[in-house]
Amino acid sequence: MAASAAGTGYIGKSILRREDEYLLRGNGRFIDDLSESRDQIHLGFVMSPYAHARIVSIDDGAAKALPGVIDVLTGVDLAKIAKPMCTAIDLPGYVIHERPVLAIDKVRFVGEQVAVVLADSPYVAQDAIDLVHAEYDPLPVAADLETAREPDAPLVHDHIERNIIFRAEFKTEGFDQAFAEGEFVLKETFRTGRVAGVPIEPRGCLAVPDHVGDSLVFYSSTQVPHILRTKLALCIGCPEPRIRVVVPEVGGGFGTKAQIYTEEIVAAALALKYRRPVKWIQDRREELLTSIHSRDHRYDIEAAFGRDGIIKAVRVEVLTNAGAYSSYPFGCTLEPTGGARMLVGPYKIRNYAYKAFAVATHTCPSGAYRGVAQPSCFLTIEGMMDRIGRKLGIDPAEVRLRNIIPTRELPWVNVVGVRYDTGSYEESLRRALEIVGYNAFRKAQAKGHFVGGKYRGIGICNFTEISGAGAPGWRARGVAHLPGFDSALLRVEPTGKITVYMSHANSGQGHLTTFAQIVAEQLGADINDVTVVEGDSALSPYGTNTFASRSAVTGGGAAIRASAKVSEKMKRIAGHLLEASPQDIVLQDGFASVVGVPRMKIPFEEIAKTAYSMNNRGLPHGEDYGIEATDYYDPPLATMANAVHIAQVSVDAEDGRVTVDRYVVVHDCGRIINPVIVNGQIQGGVAQGLGETLMEELVYDSEGQLVNANLLDYLLPTALDVPDCEIGHIESPSTDTVGGFKGVGEGGIIGAVPAIANAVADALSALGVNINRIPLRPSYLSKLIRDAKGSAAAA
Amino acid sequence: MSQKLNVRMKVNGKAYERQVEPRYLLADFLRHELGLKGTHIGCEHGVCGACTVMIDGRTARSCLHFAITVDGAEITTVEGLAREDKLHPIQQAFHENHALQCGYCTPGFLMTVTELLCRNPDPSTDEIRRALVNNICRCTGYANIVKAVAAAAEVMRGAAGRS
Amino acid sequence: MKPAPFEFFAPRSRDEVLEKLADYGDDARVLSGGQSLVPLMNMRIIQPRVIVSINQCRELAYIHSTNGRLVCGALTRQAEAEESAEVRQLAPLLSEAMPLVGGAANRNRGTVCGSLAHADPLAEPPAVAVALEAELIVASKAGRRTLSAEEFFVSELQNAMRPGEMLEEVRFPVKLGAKAAFVEVANRRHGFAVVGVAAQITVDGAAGCRNVRIAAIGVGARPLRLRHAERALEGKSVDALLLKHVSEAAREGINPPSDIHADADYRRHMAGVLAVRAVARIWGVAIEGT
Repeated sequence: MAASAAGTGYIGKSILRREDEYLLRGNGRFIDDLSESRDQIHLGFVMSPYAHARIVSIDDGAAKALPGVIDVLTGVDLAKIAKPMCTAIDLPGYVIHERPVLAIDKVRFVGEQVAVVLADSPYVAQDAIDLVHAEYDPLPVAADLETAREPDAPLVHDHIERNIIFRAEFKTEGFDQAFAEGEFVLKETFRTGRVAGVPIEPRGCLAVPDHVGDSLVFYSSTQVPHILRTKLALCIGCPEPRIRVVVPEVGGGFGTKAQIYTEEIVAAALALKYRRPVKWIQDRREELLTSIHSRDHRYDIEAAFGRDGIIKAVRVEVLTNAGAYSSYPFGCTLEPTGGARMLVGPYKIRNYAYKAFAVATHTCPSGAYRGVAQPSCFLTIEGMMDRIGRKLGIDPAEVRLRNIIPTRELPWVNVVGVRYDTGSYEESLRRALEIVGYNAFRKAQAKGHFVGGKYRGIGICNFTEISGAGAPGWRARGVAHLPGFDSALLRVEPTGKITVYMSHANSGQGHLTTFAQIVAEQLGADINDVTVVEGDSALSPYGTNTFASRSAVTGGGAAIRASAKVSEKMKRIAGHLLEASPQDIVLQDGFASVVGVPRMKIPFEEIAKTAYSMNNRGLPHGEDYGIEATDYYDPPLATMANAVHIAQVSVDAEDGRVTVDRYVVVHDCGRIINPVIVNGQIQGGVAQGLGETLMEELVYDSEGQLVNANLLDYLLPTALDVPDCEIGHIESPSTDTVGGFKGVGEGGIIGAVPAIANAVADALSALGVNINRIPLRPSYLSKLIRDAKGSAAAA
Repeated sequence: MSQKLNVRMKVNGKAYERQVEPRYLLADFLRHELGLKGTHIGCEHGVCGACTVMIDGRTARSCLHFAITVDGAEITTVEGLAREDKLHPIQQAFHENHALQCGYCTPGFLMTVTELLCRNPDPSTDEIRRALVNNICRCTGYANIVKAVAAAAEVMRGAAGRS
Repeated sequence: MKPAPFEFFAPRSRDEVLEKLADYGDDARVLSGGQSLVPLMNMRIIQPRVIVSINQCRELAYIHSTNGRLVCGALTRQAEAEESAEVRQLAPLLSEAMPLVGGAANRNRGTVCGSLAHADPLAEPPAVAVALEAELIVASKAGRRTLSAEEFFVSELQNAMRPGEMLEEVRFPVKLGAKAAFVEVANRRHGFAVVGVAAQITVDGAAGCRNVRIAAIGVGARPLRLRHAERALEGKSVDALLLKHVSEAAREGINPPSDIHADADYRRHMAGVLAVRAVARIWGVAIEGT
């Protein structure tokens, strides 16, 4: 059932957020803000300084003797109370392996934890860490993605041959023939640097046992409360009914906090062991060393196409850096499968072959960071579109239009079996080109790329964004331990107010407002009477929680379905009270009334009192007490949002700096719930994409040392770096999902990386410079420019 | 070495006296000793600005100060901005312009913006952006923060004009 | 991360500070604004056993001009220097440098002398001191000595002070009517420089450029005078051809480092580019002014 006919139109409105007031006053309670008790233990982790080594010994005598230190434990101790982490991926070509929560005999990346200190305060914990003396026997290191597969490369896991944790292959029938039919072939290698989500709030958790010591309330700065709860139960052997996970305010997640981490399991296990609250707050250096990394991809692509620019066949090899361990719950298969499967994007590519690999290296494990492989795969295919255009002398926008799936041909199942239900690939491109004044720019550019000391270019990214994946979507990626569904529990309370328990967890997306908008509209309630509760496993029904742009889709769907059940009951009771048929009852603005007889109305409170047997009316015959419904929603494979980003840049010829002069987005996330929040997601994602393309990179040296594990040397964009996006919207409601919503959380970053990279490539194309790797630091571009001019001069 | 020293300061107009270890950071002092949790810690190396407070009327990174160093000073934190019943115009403008998402960096921005508008009641967009380099936001991409600052400036100029 | 424990003193007078420094010698570090020192302490890269805070020594907070020098005391905050009309008039290069130093919150508390003493190779105040041939007054219980900027900055994070000494004051020679520019390039619009050039020139009508002083950061372990570029300019009027020579001259005699932010080749290239930009800005301002 789609939109409620009777509802006050909250969906589609830019309702101001109810989260804001307490956050602005400084009254948000993030993990480090929660009340502390006198007997609280602070954890500190001793991290390996080596990327690959055998642990010879750990001398904790001095640390234990320090006043204020309660204990020091090693991997051997923790193995007695916590099982190792293990990510099982049900795909052929995946090699399963374990990670103990504290390293026992070997360390595999700098930052892997080898011991934990328990202390009175974070200050003493750090003092104790410094006093733990661990002896290592260093081993050879495989730190680099491109050499880790070599036959003589040191192995990260002895049983994983050539460090290939995962490989997958795919080829359409008749591929070779189709490829051979392409009149032209272009080849390119795209390389993306390693980046990380870097939320301003690092991770942390607080495990509070009860006085008996066999149950736990576990607070964590996480995006996945239910997934965490189940995993904790499995790892520490405490039954799920005795674990409650509560998510406080979370200071940014971006996918980084959708992984389950060893520190969480250690904290939970120790809380039960010591029967005292155990708290752990990460510092920024630890955050950069141990919170999942992302990208560090290599795409080798070949496209065969005709002289009309239409692609006949594409072959790609995708290489992703898994780091030292397959992270949980998504596994290191996430990026290679994501990249390989999404690469064809909004295009009619029917002949496709890929090989995808996740390679282990002695570096921090990789995981889900906003965009997940899509920035890389669209950098690749969109980069090819531009190259085809340059090769054939056809405008790159035109090349795209010739290859695009026309809207009239949707729904469309792409070559790897992903279904695109609705979309606006062509319309969004045309609209974005119009808004940015593309033709005028090209005309001006034709007179000369080089103006006022800068090379000017324009770059397009036309992409599909996978969102709201349900169980089928996760099973297709070999992930069985993520349910795929989400849920909503709606309850009308005795006073007629409505509580909505969602299975999601928010970290800035405004769920408390947006879900209230949906429910209020569906129920015909006043939005001020609707309260959304998230992030508490004791209150919220189970679900897959929040990541991968799923909440609007899965939460919206669940909320609508639960609302339908609740409103039906309310109408039955109201009909009974108003002596009308439930079909004649309309719910609006917090009242139930009879169609056509507006003065025959009662407030929701009256209905509720009846349902809770708190007045002298009775319920209709056969009706049960209370007004409550839980519904689960498991979307189909996924629903595809789409967008076009166009960046206009200037590249300074002397210093190589890139300025984004204009940035246009036309976005289609189906039915929009709150336009201002959607725009905020896009703008924020673009900022991260700009960072990834121009200035962010985590750099490991050949010994596996992370050279820039601090914010002085890992550069995040500031207010001077990020342009204001000009954002337009198209709404192609999803027909595959309940509610018609599509996700938007990742679109900003997915579009920004290719758009900005393509713009720089376009700006420098006149010089014959090839742009195929990011980040595009000024020094890198400056060298390319000078070399190109130098060889031009020499020629 | 747990030498404890006496420190006195005023925070949001209220006087406090405590005994602290010299190394105890001002950010931790405000948060855990005084229970003013609005000031947040993001890096402890003076880059992200989430910990920004005012020391004697000027913005400062509380993660880079030992509590003992500001003995005798007057500190203002985000909790000192709003009135009981009403948000400060800057806070109100942030709300109306969706200038916060997760809210973690927000208190630091509010302090920076308070200082900016106090010293420059009519800043240009460029001046606003320049001032905002003091703080990093990972959620919003800054556009709405810049808008909010301009909107707040207008409201505050209007109020000043009337008074 | 949290810093390691230390003993703390906050003397109220300069003499008391020097007493403490004499007592503790190498174990002690002076704390003024802390904007450079405390990050290193928080990361436990350095772990001083004793901190002597000068923040209660009001007598060390001063800006004045004496004997043709613009003088800043140890506790002069960077924001004070930034906002001082006297500094703008007498040592404009210092005024130009200040907005580049961190964010407002850093400058409100960070001190000019603190930045000098810290000797970060990418910090702006040391570049100003080197460019203007400042005198650095180093005090100890035993007395005072004056070091030239050249002598003071030894290497990356290393200065020429001995245990028990404190940088009490910096004196910038004044060239009335001089124009200044400080230009940088970084890997984002605002942040630690990859390369920076500090220039001060007296533009003297027919005689062209006089008292040309140019220093660069990011091209070595400490700020370096670009003397070849200075010589190229001295006594000349600026035109396109001269700027080309300046660009080449600025690249001579430097051996820049390579790191993840930029390689030596880029740094050398940018020394030339920024020297030209700094000079062009000064010359342009001077031209506009006439």
